[in-house]
This record gives sequence, structure tokens and C-alpha cells, in this order.
Amino acid sequence: MSKFASRRVVLQLAATVAICAALPVVHPAFAADPAQLVQNTAQQVIEIIKTKTGAERQAAILGVLQTRFDMPAMGRSALGRYWNQATEQERARFLKAVATAEAKAYSERFGQYGGQTLTIGKVTPGANGLTMVDSRLNQTSGQPIKIEWEIRNDRIIDVRVEGVSMVMTRRADFSSYIQSKGGQIEPLVSELEARAAR
Amino acid sequence: MIGVTRAIAASIRRSVVAVALAGTVLGGCASGDTGAAEVWDPLETPNRFIFSINRAVDVMAFRPLAVMYRDLVPERAQTGVRNVLDNLGEPVTAINEVFQGDPNRAATTMARFLVNSTIGVAGIFDVATSLGLERTKEDFGKTIGLWAGVEPENGGFYLMLPAYGPSNARDGTGLMMDYLVDPFRILTFNLSVNWDYYQIARYGMNAVDYRSRTIFALDDLEKNSVDYYAALRSAYTQNRADQIREKREKTNARAELERRDNLALVR
Repeated sequence: MSKFASRRVVLQLAATVAICAALPVVHPAFAADPAQLVQNTAQQVIEIIKTKTGAERQAAILGVLQTRFDMPAMGRSALGRYWNQATEQERARFLKAVATAEAKAYSERFGQYGGQTLTIGKVTPGANGLTMVDSRLNQTSGQPIKIEWEIRNDRIIDVRVEGVSMVMTRRADFSSYIQSKGGQIEPLVSELEARAAR
Repeated sequence: MIGVTRAIAASIRRSVVAVALAGTVLGGCASGDTGAAEVWDPLETPNRFIFSINRAVDVMAFRPLAVMYRDLVPERAQTGVRNVLDNLGEPVTAINEVFQGDPNRAATTMARFLVNSTIGVAGIFDVATSLGLERTKEDFGKTIGLWAGVEPENGGFYLMLPAYGPSNARDGTGLMMDYLVDPFRILTFNLSVNWDYYQIARYGMNAVDYRSRTIFALDDLEKNSVDYYAALRSAYTQNRADQIREKREKTNARAELERRDNLALVR
């Protein structure tokens, strides 16, 4: 009896040890390296700009936004306090329109690939599982551009170019527009949809 | 000589008034703290009015001029012009670096100015950078922001200046201070030659050069925003805050190192 009991204890111990030993192996695969995420995203975008144009490029950029960025979180953050006021349907339409508008903006932003490269700098882990990745976009002429990436749960949640946050600027832009339309969210959503369709 | 001294004295008197004004303004922003997300803009209606005039002038005259300058003038000539303008701005940067409590950096900036003004043929060639003297650009808005005990996003009330563009109480005061302390403006004040044309040409070229470098960013912001005024207000505030924050972090890091050095000396 005691023999069995001790065997059970040994088995339990072994199982615990096995789980503990397995955890660090599982962990890195689960949480990818933020610097690597940024590097891969940049590489993917450069590849798209080099090879694709027009609608094809826009679709590919949208794919990058949906796989590498946390678009729902960014959209929610960009709408700020108006998110709670919006109906379920308005939220869905808003997120869709923002993603399309953003993909369109990015695909038009870079006409042709101009030999830019991205150098990853310091990686700073912050509170609430947030990680900041510093980087420099080196241009063929002129000063390099400072770009910082905010990452949470293996997704990019904000990009800051020379200190200007994409999400914060959108929030200021959207909230001012909503206020000018008497606090209604509907005009903003229709405007974004109209722009996305253009 | 007396004329020059008098001019400097007059400038200092005016500067004292400006500093007093800056004090009032900064005292004001403590109560008007609106945080990082929303910019305090009590003058929004007049600001938007000035913005619409600025935009009309920009679309009709200024932007086309900047586009022509960017696309038609050879790149090497543009670099030369930019170097000359930057060189003329070095003394103001050095003065600011002294006020920022960094006399060593100010000395480097003055060394740059002396090297580029002589070997670099009146600043056309940036020889100093190839000698390892890196360029910095400081202004009084940043100096005030460095010492003001508020979030750098808080620059007092937002201000749309005619022709110049986005600013705020802090940076507007800074702009005035930079103008007042500029040695080129002071030293050319009472001489027999009329330097006004040179100064106007300098400010004009500065404006065209700066606009030509912001075409891409501003076009992008305008195209991708539903309220361009609000988007620009936010972007301007964030960009300036970032520059000041960078400055503060550098100062803190240096102070920390000096503190440790002193501790090591005590031990």
C-alpha cells in the first residue's frame, strides 16, 4: 500500500517537474519576440511595396494589418469615449471602414520602394504586458525617421512616427469631427465608409 | 559701438518682458491642464479662421513654390542652402543650450559654427559633421518645456499663427525669444548697410525650405483625416512633446551619472 502511495507521489512529482520543464519551452513559442514581430512586419511591407501595385497592394496591406496589428483594439481606442455610445452595428461598420481606410492610406503612402531600411533599437517592456520597440527608418537621403511600436499580445497596437501616435491622432481627429456633428457617431461612420469606397 | 550696445540693451529689456509673459502663460497652463489626449484650445474659433486663411495662401502660393523648389532645384544646391540657413541658426541653438544647462553642448555648437563659417565657406558645406561635431537644433520653446514642471503635452493654449502655422503659448513665446536673442538680428541692427533685405531673404528661404520638407507629411495628414485642423493640432502637440521629453530624459540621465560620479568621489 505504502509502496503504491509512494509510487503515486513519485509520478505526481515527475508530472509536475515535466510540466515545469515544459513551460519555458512552450512560453517563447507562445509569446513571440516583439523585435522580431516588428522586423517581420517591416520586411513583409517592403516586399509588398516592391512587388505589388494598386488594388492588389491594398489587399495585401489589409492582410498585414489584420494579421500583425490588433485592429479592433486600435479602432476602439481611436473612437475613445464614443465607443460606449456606439451601437453594436455602428462599431462593426466603423472597424471595417477604419481598416479599409488605413489599408488604402498605407498603400498610397509609399509610391515606389525608395531603398528604406528599418533598424530595430531598444526593446522596453512596460506595464500591462505592453512592450515598446524603438526603431529608425533609414532613408537614402536626409535624416532617419524615429518610429516606435507598441506591442501587446503579439500584436502591434500603436505606431508613433517622430512621437506622433497614429491612434492618438485619429482619436483627436474623430472626436473633433463627432463633436462638430452634434455628438453623433453615424456621420463619422458614413464619412469613413464613403472614403473607403472612393 | 554705442548703437550696438543700446540695441542689445533694448533687446534685453524686451526679453525681460517676454520672460515675465512666459511666466504668466506657464502659470496659466497649470490650471488649464487638459492631459495628453485633448489639446487645450480656448481660441479654437479664431484659430480655425486663421488656419483657413493660411491654408488658402498655402494652396495658392506657398505649397506650389515649395514643390517647385523641391523638384526643380538640384539636390546639392538645396543641401547647400539648408546648410547656410542651419549655420545662421547655430548661435541661437548655442544660447538655448546654455539656458538648458548644457554649456558643453553649446561649446560644440559654437565650434560647429566657427568651423562651418570659415572652412565650410559661410556655411555652405557642413564640414563640422564630418569632423564628428554632430548638429543639434534647439529653440526656446523646448528650453521652456524642459524646465516647466508640467507634462510636455501641455504647452499652454494652442495657437494658430498667421503664415507660420501651428504653435502654442509655450512655443509662441519661444519663437519670440529666439527672435530677440538672435545675434544676427542684434548685430545688424544699426549698421549703415540695410540688412533688412538679407533678414527677409533668410526668413523667406527658411520658410520655403521647411515647407518643402513637410509636403509629404502634411499632404498625408490632410488626406487621411476627417478634421484636418484637429489632426494637425494633435500631431503638432505630440511631436513637440516628444522632442521635449527626449530632452528631459537626456538631462535626467546626465544628472544621474553626475550624481553617481559625485558619490564615487565621496567614497
